[in-house]
Amino acid sequence: MNNPTIRNWLGFSTLALMLASLFMVFDYVPPDAEMGIAQLIFYFHVPLAWVAFASFGLVAIAGIFYLWLGDQLWDDLGYAAAETGMVFCTLMIVAGSIWAKPIWGTWWTWDSRLTMTFILWLMYGGYLMLRASADDTPQVARFGAVIGIVAALDVPIVIVSVRMWRTIHPAVLVTKQGTHGLEDPRMIWTLMVCLAAFTALWAWLLMLRFTQLRTRSRMGRLSSRIAFATAAASDPK
Amino acid sequence: MSAPVVETRSLAKAYGLAPVLREVQLRLLAGTGAFIVGGNGAGKSTLLRILAGLEAPSAGHALVFGQDTRRLAARYRRRIGLMAHQSFLYPNLTARENLEFYGELYSLADPRASAHQWLGRVGLADAADIRVRAFSRGMEQRLSAARAMLAEPALLLLDEPFASLDHDGAEIVAALIRGAIERGACVLATTHGIPEIDGVELAVFEISRGRLMQHARKEEVRRGGRIRSLLGR
Amino acid sequence: MSGFAAVLRKDLRLELRSGESTLALLALSMLVLVVLVFALGAARVRSVDAAAGALWVAMVFAGMLGANRALLAERDNGAIRGLLLSPLDPSTLYAAKLCAALIFMAVAEVGAVILMVLFFNLDFDASMARLAPILALGAVGFSALATLLSAITGRTRGGDMLLPILAVPIFVPALIAGVKASAAALAGAPFESMGDWLKIMIAFDVLFVSAGYLLFEHVVGGD
Repeated sequence: MNNPTIRNWLGFSTLALMLASLFMVFDYVPPDAEMGIAQLIFYFHVPLAWVAFASFGLVAIAGIFYLWLGDQLWDDLGYAAAETGMVFCTLMIVAGSIWAKPIWGTWWTWDSRLTMTFILWLMYGGYLMLRASADDTPQVARFGAVIGIVAALDVPIVIVSVRMWRTIHPAVLVTKQGTHGLEDPRMIWTLMVCLAAFTALWAWLLMLRFTQLRTRSRMGRLSSRIAFATAAASDPK
Repeated sequence: MSAPVVETRSLAKAYGLAPVLREVQLRLLAGTGAFIVGGNGAGKSTLLRILAGLEAPSAGHALVFGQDTRRLAARYRRRIGLMAHQSFLYPNLTARENLEFYGELYSLADPRASAHQWLGRVGLADAADIRVRAFSRGMEQRLSAARAMLAEPALLLLDEPFASLDHDGAEIVAALIRGAIERGACVLATTHGIPEIDGVELAVFEISRGRLMQHARKEEVRRGGRIRSLLGR
Repeated sequence: MSGFAAVLRKDLRLELRSGESTLALLALSMLVLVVLVFALGAARVRSVDAAAGALWVAMVFAGMLGANRALLAERDNGAIRGLLLSPLDPSTLYAAKLCAALIFMAVAEVGAVILMVLFFNLDFDASMARLAPILALGAVGFSALATLLSAITGRTRGGDMLLPILAVPIFVPALIAGVKASAAALAGAPFESMGDWLKIMIAFDVLFVSAGYLLFEHVVGGD
């Protein structure tokens, strides 16, 4: 995970995929017949949603492993995933909102998926506020792990409840009839490339942040060893 | 030869970048008493909290009854009595209610009788039904000692047991410590001055600059302490 | 089991002695209802939807205060350490604290329901009986969540501010279900018609009572 070669390779792949996805979205893919140009946001919105949810899943998984094994590595991974996920979740909401204005005629509506996403955003915002309000001790790492797990447990119930509450979000990918809104194969190709591009971007950012947090943890351990060594060196013989 | 009640191996603790305890090696057997002297912030209380399992060491191991203190099962926690700087008492409960509550937590056969007995032992029988809120610091300290010893622990950890006690109070607590050692418990206490408990041989350690050192002769510690205070340390 | 009873009995005794928590919870519930009556305006005060919503707002605020209170007693003189050092299991401690928070909340809710009927010009009738299980389910879920989270927020800087920030989003599913079911109950709907909402609340309660029971040791122990 900390190998700079892999990281650089991933960074360049991200760049290439991002350029490819820009080309495909703005030049290659035909715009949707009904929605027009606004529909193009979809190709960024869906990949953003996927990586945001993947991040939050990762926070919970890292939390479980942290409580189980107690290795600082898992806390660093969970924290990095929460931060990255928050960025993508915010972008997803913004992108969705820009799409919704011309299509639904409003920036925001209390549709079930929007509500669910917003609640997720609030939960992980709370997680980050907790982390920001305290020093990085094993105690706070455990708090983070517990909140990550509890939030993930809550997601299925949130989904069910907000769906019963109300829904107008388009079921774009697969509807009950087995059809999807993407008639043109070029649309599917574009979506695939965008998914790959955003996944690569996400993995790259996550890796950068994770490496940074790993370094910080290692520095903490080293500093405390130096402090012990300094104290030992100044002992009267 | 019996296994030690307390054993630490290269125990170290740091708060952030400040080393508090370094390379602490300590072995205590059942039926013995030891005192740790050292200035404020020397790490005495930290050592007791680690032994009680309330804090984790940064490095090394702390074993109590042969168990790592990081994960002490209930049956081992049951055999530790900690009298900390904070009294762990509920201000809005009376002295009797406090002891009865802890007696129930420790599943004593008869919490009521034990509470009554211990109130008598620490000289608080008359104040049994007064809320702890109204207690003086010395009374609270005596009740705190009773709380720690209520379940007759095999390991008694006392943080400054004589603090804010008057002469009588100190006598009472000293007698209780002697009693505990005589019935076979291991007692580890911290204190500022050099303790004297009649009829008990006490080992004396000192924590200085995070290191635990044994002192065979108590006078040495006393003199050492005086010299350091003259040097302004 | 004896530890559970001992802690719960001790908490109730402390509460009966001072009455601080339940009084504070009742006062807060009342204030929330008053604020909402003004905020919603006289026109909407007779709508069961508004009443149900107001009741749940009061409940969320009271619940946060209640959970905080249940752990507050342990912070004086560091008593929580005395408990952790005792043979008491952290999970048992959680169960006892949950019950204490639930009892404080239940008292506040009874008060809040009475005030709601008065403020929103409703009637004391059979709908109150249908409301009771809904509120009970909501109170169990919220106490379970808030007891776990207040153990976290109580040990961080600015923790009292963090509790609502962490608890409210997670509570949303039970809140949605509770408000819908309460409005239906107040409108006189039969019990069967709100089955799905009740199922959501039951699922929430089961999930968070178990999560709290299993995870509590990680938030109270150590360091």
